[in-house]
Amino acid sequence: MVSLERVQTPRFRYLVAVIPMISGLAGVVIANIPISILGGLVPAPLFGLVPVYFWCLVRPDLMTPAVAFSIGFAEDILSGGPPGIWTLAFVLTYALLARQRDSFAGLSGLAAVLGFSGAATFACAVAYFTVAGLNLLSGLHLPPLVPVVSELMMTVLFYIPTTLVVGWLHHKLVGASRSDV
Amino acid sequence: MANAWKIARRSNVQLPLILVVALAIVVVLLGKAQGSLFDRMRARATDTVAPLLVKVRGPVAGFDRFVGSITEIFSVYEQNLKLKEENARLRQWRNVAIVLQGRVGRYQALLHAVPDPKLNGVLARVIGRANRPFLQTMILDAGRQNHALPGQAVMDARGMIGRVYLAGQRTSWVILLTDLNSRIPVTIAPGNVQAMMTGDNSVTPRLEMVSRTVVLHAGDQVTSSGDGGLLPAGLPVGTVVSDGAGGWRVALLADAAASQDVEILSFSKAPETPPASAQLPAEAAGLKPAPPPPPAAPATGVQINGQANGQANGQANGQVKAPVPGQAASGAANQANVPAAPQAKPKPATQTPAADSADAEDQDR
Repeated sequence: MVSLERVQTPRFRYLVAVIPMISGLAGVVIANIPISILGGLVPAPLFGLVPVYFWCLVRPDLMTPAVAFSIGFAEDILSGGPPGIWTLAFVLTYALLARQRDSFAGLSGLAAVLGFSGAATFACAVAYFTVAGLNLLSGLHLPPLVPVVSELMMTVLFYIPTTLVVGWLHHKLVGASRSDV
Repeated sequence: MANAWKIARRSNVQLPLILVVALAIVVVLLGKAQGSLFDRMRARATDTVAPLLVKVRGPVAGFDRFVGSITEIFSVYEQNLKLKEENARLRQWRNVAIVLQGRVGRYQALLHAVPDPKLNGVLARVIGRANRPFLQTMILDAGRQNHALPGQAVMDARGMIGRVYLAGQRTSWVILLTDLNSRIPVTIAPGNVQAMMTGDNSVTPRLEMVSRTVVLHAGDQVTSSGDGGLLPAGLPVGTVVSDGAGGWRVALLADAAASQDVEILSFSKAPETPPASAQLPAEAAGLKPAPPPPPAAPATGVQINGQANGQANGQANGQVKAPVPGQAASGAANQANVPAAPQAKPKPATQTPAADSADAEDQDR
C-alpha cells in the first residue's frame, strides 16, 4: 500500500508520471510473449491499447501522443508484423479519443465497454486497411479479416479485467498525485 | 474524475499529435522500404529474452498441448482405429520404398549420375509461437551461432513447416507456410505439375499459377520444387485438397501448432570437387596423360593470363601435368566467392591409345 506522503515526494512523483507508459509497455510485452496458452486458437488481445484508452481519457497529460506512439511502436517490434502498423493504429486511435473525449469520458458501465469496443474497432480497422494497402502496392492478396476480428473480440473480452488493473494503478498511484504532476 | 476531466480539457495536444501521426506514417513507409532495420531490432529482442522463454516454455507447453488437443478427446477411439489401419498401409509402402531406394542407388551408380546435394540439418527446439493477425510465426532456439540463416527450410518429422526469415545470434523466426507472406514453388505429383503455394493465414495454403490445362486430383502429393535454388527439391509439403470453389489447396503434412522439435535444413549447392587425376579414365587404364596443348604464339595470344602462365610454368619445369578439369572454373569461382559451375566436369580422354603413344613419342623426341 502506497501512502499519500510517499507519493508526495518528488522522486516518486516522476515515477508516477511514467506509470501509464510502463503499464502500456507491460501490456504489450505480456500480449506478445510468444507462448501460446490456448494452442494458437485465438490471437492475443491488444493489452497495450487499454492503458492508452484509459489514461487518454482520464489523464491526457500523462498519456501524451508520444507515449501512445511508444506503446504502438513496441507492439510493432514485438508482434513481428509489418513495421509501423500498430504505431499508426495506436496514434490514430489516440487522435480519435482526443477529439471525441467528451463522448467517451462520460460513458460508464456497459456503455464504457461499448466505447472501448469502438476505439478498438477503429484501431484494428486502421491496422487492417494499412496492411491491405501495403499488400496491394506489393501485388499481394488482401489480408484475411477473420484474424483481425478475432483479435478485436479478444481485446474487448479482456477489457474489463485489464481495466480493473489499470484502474487500481490509477487510484493507488496516479490519482493520488493528480494535483502535483 | 471531474478534476481529471478539467485537466483533460485544458491540455492542448493538437500540435504534438499531428507530428506523431506524421512520424507514424514515416515509420510505416520506412518499414516498407527498410524492413531489415526492424528485423534486427526484433532479433536482438528475441535473443535477449530467449533464456527466459526457454524456462517459461516448459510448464506452459504441457497445458498448451492439452488445450490444443482438447477437441480431439471425443474422437480418440475412431482416431486409434484409423491410425492402426494407416500404420499397416505405411509399413507396406516402407518396404516398397526401401526396395526402390536401393534400385535408384544402383541406377545412379551405373549412370554416374550427379548425386543429390547433401542437406545438413540443425536440430532446434520451438521456444515460442505467435499467432498475430498479420503474422504466424514460431521462434526457434537456434540462430546464426548454429548456422541457421534466413531462407532455410524448417521441417518437422512429417513435412515442411516453413522457412527461417529472421535469424538472430541465438534465435530465429520462422515464417509458416500458412502465413500470408509465404510463397513456395512446389511440384505436384503425379504429372510434375509446377505451381506456387501461397499462404493466406488459413490452415490450408492455396495453389496458384497452376496451368489451366492441368487436371489435379485430391490426394496428389505436393513437394517443394527447388525452383529459385533457395529450397531443396523434394521436401514433402502436403496433399492436394479441393477448396469447394473450383480451386485447390494443400493440406499440410506438418503440424506447426504441435511441433516441439524441428530441423533447419542448410541447403546450398556445393561446388563439385574434381576427381583426382589417378581416377581419370585414361590414367586409371594405365595410360599416359594427354599432353597439354601447344603454347600459343605471343603475337596471337589473346588468352587469359592465368591460363597462359600456368601452361608456361608447367613446361618450363619439365613437368607434364595432367589437366585437372574444373581447375580454371574453380579458380574463377574462388575469386568471385561463388561455387564452381557444375559444367566443369572431367573431360574423359577422347584420344585413342595409339594417338596417345604417338604424342608421347613426339615429346621424347
